[in-house]
Amino acid sequence: MSVWRGGKFALIVHPELSVLSQYQALLAGNGFTTVVARDLPTALLAITQHYFDLAIVSSQITESGDGWPLAGVLHLVYPKSFVAVLVPGTDLLTLQAAINSGVQDVYELTETPKRVVSSMLAAMQTPGATADSSPSEKVH
Amino acid sequence: MIKKPSLLIVDDEPNVLLTLRLVLEEEGYEIRTAASYAEAEKIIGDAARFDAILTDLWMEKEDIGIELARSASKLHPRPIIVIFTGFGSPSNARAALEVPVDYFALKPLDIDELKRVLNRLVAQAMERGVPS
Repeated sequence: MSVWRGGKFALIVHPELSVLSQYQALLAGNGFTTVVARDLPTALLAITQHYFDLAIVSSQITESGDGWPLAGVLHLVYPKSFVAVLVPGTDLLTLQAAINSGVQDVYELTETPKRVVSSMLAAMQTPGATADSSPSEKVH
Repeated sequence: MIKKPSLLIVDDEPNVLLTLRLVLEEEGYEIRTAASYAEAEKIIGDAARFDAILTDLWMEKEDIGIELARSASKLHPRPIIVIFTGFGSPSNARAALEVPVDYFALKPLDIDELKRVLNRLVAQAMERGVPS
């Protein structure tokens, strides 16, 4: 049984307004109330004020790689939520960062927002796709 | 009395097994080891429970550690899963992300970082209510 949290919320963190706008429109169309942030302080403020079911974070917000710690924080704060990171490429170190930050998936920046959102929503329907399968959630 | 968190460490290199056992026993963990994927599967198949399973990736064959991670991810309660490898690649890291694995370390291992990460993951799991 899912827990009532007052509707589905998504957080999008990306430095480009046009990208934020595209994701916001797509997620709103899928029933999400979307909060957007272009920098870390705004993202952190949003984390203190909402329960996010889904988050999409650019691996580069202000400088290269600063999105990863934010993704890690999102995973710690919302262990049952789906967190994805937009990355310039999926090399070994990027995938290692994804695993070690606890994110569910990474998408290349060249992917269209439509494709990213549909892939994330499909993955969220799959049992075990989110951190529901994390150690904390498998309690006797 | 607080029960020690339990670990299963899997590697086909005896020196790695011995080193990790010594280091992590010192850290306060109860350790069981397996020298192969097959041995590890038998141990977890016998309903032994672990707070965390740490496995090498290449043992009997390439990337077999992913198979062990998949088996471990289906256990209830699900243990923390750590993979370490000297043969990391985008393809095996992608497979590990899909399991999902909790931590992916490249050899040579940074023992201090491994201890820190393991302690954090185990503490988080315990705080959220997983019995050790």
